[in-house]
Amino acid sequence: MTVGKAGPAEEVSKVLPMRPELLKGHLDALLLAVLEAGPQHGYAVIEALRAGSDGALGLPTGTVYPALHRLERAGLIASDWETVGGRRRRAYHLTASGRTALGEQRAIWDQFSTAVTAVLGGRAWPATG
Amino acid sequence: MAGHRLTSNAGAHAQARSDAYLGELAQLLRGPRRRRTQILTELRGGLDQAIADHTGDHTSHGRTDDQLVESAIAHFGTPRAIADAFAGELATAYARHTIAWYVATGPLVGIWWLLLSQPHPWRTGLVAVLAAIPIMPLIVVAIATAVGTFATTGGLIRWLPEASPDRALTATIAIAALTLAGDVTVITLYTQSTAPARPLAILAIAASGIRIACSLVVLRHATLMHRDSTPRRAQITR
Repeated sequence: MTVGKAGPAEEVSKVLPMRPELLKGHLDALLLAVLEAGPQHGYAVIEALRAGSDGALGLPTGTVYPALHRLERAGLIASDWETVGGRRRRAYHLTASGRTALGEQRAIWDQFSTAVTAVLGGRAWPATG
Repeated sequence: MAGHRLTSNAGAHAQARSDAYLGELAQLLRGPRRRRTQILTELRGGLDQAIADHTGDHTSHGRTDDQLVESAIAHFGTPRAIADAFAGELATAYARHTIAWYVATGPLVGIWWLLLSQPHPWRTGLVAVLAAIPIMPLIVVAIATAVGTFATTGGLIRWLPEASPDRALTATIAIAALTLAGDVTVITLYTQSTAPARPLAILAIAASGIRIACSLVVLRHATLMHRDSTPRRAQITR
């Protein structure tokens, strides 16, 4: 997994190296979030992740496509085949369950990232009584 | 294709490389044929788009169209890497497909043996019918395994722990082995019994015989997939 894959030279300086393990557990939420705006095919999802993260999330084909298939198996997304320029393409879209799951994942991420930021940033925890 | 059109020669080269890439990938994918075809069709669309994006990239000055096509294909990932990445999904699809086949065909085989062992089940009652089926424990275990595998590999994985592809394949092997044992047992018991030969027995034995052959094929395929996929997935996750 080439997370943080560098594009042009100037991007290298601003995109910090990111270990692939950091994505573990968050890939589903990222894919659901990309599909929230509307149906997309697999390659467009890869590009949207890269563009949306300013190049930090350059996920390879072998990570994204199987993950989309797994999400479809779980019923969180569905797909339709369409023909564009004589080529068949599979476009994925969120299901109602997928929207619900995305909302839950966002809430979990907000809580998690707030906690991690508080610790890493040296901010004080709220008093626990 | 964004802002740049390949020359006819480069277009032919791109098509040939794309075909070769997908041909190599097709040789490496293992699983249900329909799923493999869908994956290859889907990846062809993605690969075409990747080539179009690379050859339309105006920042790639000084490189020929052929070099840009090669770069796009390299960026897409090697066929081996893609095949390994899909191995888990294909193994799970194979397991679900095969288990669904067993569930669907089970009654078609079982009904003949049921009629053979209990000609008047509505007179003797359900308990007597169940007692007359010596392989009932095998059937119960196989059904429980099938239900568990279906539940932990489908839509319920949002709430249940997901079964790994290896576990799904192991369950498939177990169901095939139980079915095989059940079919062999009922045929053996019938042929060794003193019951008079009946035309219905021909149907029952033929149905079980076909399923025995299918079970042997399933055992071979599932075992090969299990053996091939485990070391490669271990490498991916390492």
